[in-house]
Amino acid sequence: MKLAFVFPGQGSQKNGMLHSLPDHPAVLEVLQEAREVMGGNVFTLDTDKALKSTVSVQLSLLIASVAVSKAFKAEGVMPDFAAGHSAGAFGAAVMCGAVDFTDALEIVKLRGELMEQAFPSGYGMGVITGFDARTVNEIAAAISSEEYPVYPSNINAADQVTISGSIPGIKKVLDQAGQRGARTAELLNVSVPSHCPLLKSVGDSLYDKLASVNVRVPAIPYAGNRTARLLRDSEQIREDLAFNVSHPVRWYEISSLLCEHGTRLLIEMPPGNVLTTLNKRTLPGARSVSVDENGLDNCLFLAKKFCS
Amino acid sequence: MQAAKQRSWNTRLEAKQKRLEKMKGITSNRIIPTRQIVEALETLIMPGDRVVLEGNNQKQASFLSAALAQADPKKLFDLHMIMSSISRPEHLDVFEYGIASKVDFSYAGPQSLRMAQMLEDGKLTMGEIHTYVELYGRLFIDLIPSVALVAADKADSEGNLYTGPNTEETPTLVEAAGFSSGIVIAQVNELTDELPRVDIPGSWIDFVVVADKPYQLEPLFTRDPRHITDIQILQAMMVIRGIYEKHGVKSLNHGIGYNTAAIELLLPTYGESLGLKGKICRHWALNPHPTLIPAIESGWVESVHCFGGEVGMEKYVAARRDVFFTGHDGSLRSNRTLCQLAGQYAVDLFVGSSLQIDEAGNSSTVTRGRLAGFGGAPNMGHDPGGRRHSSQAWLDMMTDTDPLARGRKLVVQVAETFQNGNKPVFVESLDAVGAKADIGLETAPVMIYGQDVTHIVTEEGIAYLYKTDSMEERRQAIAAIAGVTPIGLKHDVRATEKLRREGLIALPEDLGIRRTDAKRSLLAAKNVEELVEWSDRLYEPPAKFRSW
Repeated sequence: MKLAFVFPGQGSQKNGMLHSLPDHPAVLEVLQEAREVMGGNVFTLDTDKALKSTVSVQLSLLIASVAVSKAFKAEGVMPDFAAGHSAGAFGAAVMCGAVDFTDALEIVKLRGELMEQAFPSGYGMGVITGFDARTVNEIAAAISSEEYPVYPSNINAADQVTISGSIPGIKKVLDQAGQRGARTAELLNVSVPSHCPLLKSVGDSLYDKLASVNVRVPAIPYAGNRTARLLRDSEQIREDLAFNVSHPVRWYEISSLLCEHGTRLLIEMPPGNVLTTLNKRTLPGARSVSVDENGLDNCLFLAKKFCS
Repeated sequence: MQAAKQRSWNTRLEAKQKRLEKMKGITSNRIIPTRQIVEALETLIMPGDRVVLEGNNQKQASFLSAALAQADPKKLFDLHMIMSSISRPEHLDVFEYGIASKVDFSYAGPQSLRMAQMLEDGKLTMGEIHTYVELYGRLFIDLIPSVALVAADKADSEGNLYTGPNTEETPTLVEAAGFSSGIVIAQVNELTDELPRVDIPGSWIDFVVVADKPYQLEPLFTRDPRHITDIQILQAMMVIRGIYEKHGVKSLNHGIGYNTAAIELLLPTYGESLGLKGKICRHWALNPHPTLIPAIESGWVESVHCFGGEVGMEKYVAARRDVFFTGHDGSLRSNRTLCQLAGQYAVDLFVGSSLQIDEAGNSSTVTRGRLAGFGGAPNMGHDPGGRRHSSQAWLDMMTDTDPLARGRKLVVQVAETFQNGNKPVFVESLDAVGAKADIGLETAPVMIYGQDVTHIVTEEGIAYLYKTDSMEERRQAIAAIAGVTPIGLKHDVRATEKLRREGLIALPEDLGIRRTDAKRSLLAAKNVEELVEWSDRLYEPPAKFRSW
C-alpha cells in the first residue's frame, strides 16, 4: 500500500492561509526561507487584497504546501508519489527533490507575473459538471472562433471539466452545456485563461527560465500534469513545470493512476480540500484526507500507521 | 530415416532438467527458502519464457508477482506474461522494468488506465484480450506455458497443495505447465505435515515457497444491501415476474451488481408471495454471494457451484454442504474453469448489467482511455451454439416452427437508463467503437453482442428481444424502454403501444407490478448485519462491511 501527497492549485487559496499553517518547526523554517529569498514579509501575501493577484496566490500555495510537506518529512513520513494540480505541481516538484524550494519560488513568481500580463481582461475560465471531457470538447470545438476562442482545459473528474478562453466564448459553451443537461455550468472567478493554447507564450518563457534551473532526478515519481504519467526523468519534469500552464491538467487520470500504482492513502497539503473532494469521488477504494480538514497530527498518525 | 532418429523428442523436458539442476545451489528438495525466491525465479525462468501468473479477480499469487518484479532485467527479460487478470501494480511493473514484454490476458479492470497508457507508450506488446475460458483454453493449444506461478493456502513436504475454498484457476494453470514439461512454482501461506485435503497433487508441482504474507484475496462479490435502491428493487421485481416466472428459469448465473443482489434478496419475500419457490432459481453457477443467504435459508436453492470463494463465507458454506460443493474437510471447492463452462453450457440464464447499450442491443463496459478487457461475462452472456440439452426456459425461447428449430439461452441485460453523472446508458454508438480506434484493436471490445441478448430490463420496462423478427422491431423495442436517452427519445408512442399489445415489451403494470410497491422493505435483508443473522451467525463479513 502506497502513500501520495497531493498539492492543490489555484482556487484553493484563502485569506490568512499562511497565518493558519500548523505549528511545526519545519513550517517556520520554510516560512523563514521564503522570507529570505523574497526579501519581504511573506505574511502580506495572503490577505484578501493581495490574493486578488495571481502572483500572490501562486506563491502562497507553494509556500503553504511545501511548508507542511517538510513537516511530514521532518516527522519521518515520506510519500511514494507526489502530484500537484497546476501551480501545485511546483510544490510536488520540491517534495520529490526535483527542484529546490528557492528556485521554485522564483519560477512561480515569474509564472504568476507572466500569466497576469498575458490577458489583462476579457478572459477567464468556466467549469462544467455532469459531462465528460469528450462531450465538453465537442461543445467547445463547435463554438470556439478566432474572435472568441474557448478551449476545454482541466479534466478534474470523470464528470468535471473546465474551459478556458474569452469570456463570450466561455459563456456560450456554458449556455450550450446547460441546455444539453449539464448538472452545473459556471463561470469561475479567475481572469487568466489557463491550461489552453492561449498561454503558449507563457509556457515558452517559463521553459527558457527553467532551462537555467537545476532540475534533478526525483527521489520519488512526480505525476506529470500534461501527460498523466509518473515521471522519473528530470527533463520531463522540467517540461511539465513549464508547459502545464498551456495544457490541460489531467487530474482525473493522475488520481486514477496513483491508485493503480497501489496508492491507498492520499494526503492533501494545504490550503483547502479541493483535491480531496475530487479524489474521494474518483477513488472510492482509497482514503483521501487533507491537512486543512483533518489536521497535521491526524494526517501524520494515519500516514505512520499506514506505512508501518 | 537416420536424421529423424537423431532428433530429440524431449527438448522441453531436457530444458527443464537443466534448470532443475541449477536449482541445487538453492535447495535440495522442493522447498525454496522464502528469502531466495528472486534468485530462484532468475534460475528457473529463462528470457523469452511464457510465464502464466495466477492473478484472477479474487486470489492473487502476490508474493510471486512481487518477487518477479524484483528480478534483474539483465538476467530475466522478454518474458511473455499470461494472466487472467492484471490486478496488482507489479503485474505491470514487470513491463516497466523491462522484465516482460508481451502480455495475453482476460481482464485488467484494476489496472485499466495504466494498461492503456503503457500500450500507447509502447511499453508492452499486447497479444490478445480473451474471456476466461478462451485464455484457459489457449494454455493447452498455442500458449502453453514454460512456467506457472500459482498460490495455495498450504503445502506439505511432498508438494501437495491445499487451496481451501479458493481453488479457483489454480488446477488449470498447474495442469497446463505441469503436463507439458513446464515448471510449476506454488507460493503457500504455510507448510504443514498434514493437509486438510489435497486440491492439487504434489506430483504436478515442482517447487513450493512459503510467502512472507498470505496471498491477496479480495471480497469482490459482497454487496451491502444497504446500497440497494428502490429502482433496483423495481427492476428485480420485473425480472422475477417477467422473466424468471414467465419462462420458468431454474438454472442461472448472476452478475455482481446491486440489481442482481436485489433479485437474490427478493426471492424469499416477493418471490415467495408469488408462490414461485421450487419453480425458479434452483441451480446456480455463482460465487458464494452473501446476498444469496436468505434464499438458501428459505429453501429456494438446491445447488450452487462456485468460480471462487468469498471472504467471510467459509463457515457458512461448510455448514451447508447440501448446497455447495465441498471437500472431505468440509470447506468449499471452487473451480473457475469448470464453473465458467457450467455457466456457459449448463445454465438457462445469464443476467448482467452494462454501462452502455446501443440501439441494436450490443453492450459494453468500456470507458475511453482505459483497457479493462472482459473477464468471464461473455462466456456466460451468449447463446452457446453447442448446447443440445433442453429445458423449459431454453425451449421457451423458440420462436419459429422450423422442424430444426432449437431453444436458446436467456441473456438478460439490466440497466438504468442513465448512469450516475447524467450519462445515458442507451447511446447511438458504443464507446467500444472509439476504443477500438484509440488502442488499435482488431475488433471493438463488445462485452455482450446484441444478437445474443434476449431481454433488456430498465426501470421503464422489459424488452423481449428474442421475439423480434427484424432489426427495426428490435430497435423499436429497445427505444421503447430507453427512457429519455437519445435512443429512447426516438421511440414512437403508437409503435410502443403496438409492441406492448404484442408482448414485445412489458411495462411494470403489464406484469402486475405497482411501481409504488418497489420499496426496500421488500428486501429479505436490508444490511450486512441481517445477512449475518440469516446465516445463523455463520457468515463472518470482512471488517469493511461491518458497521456495527
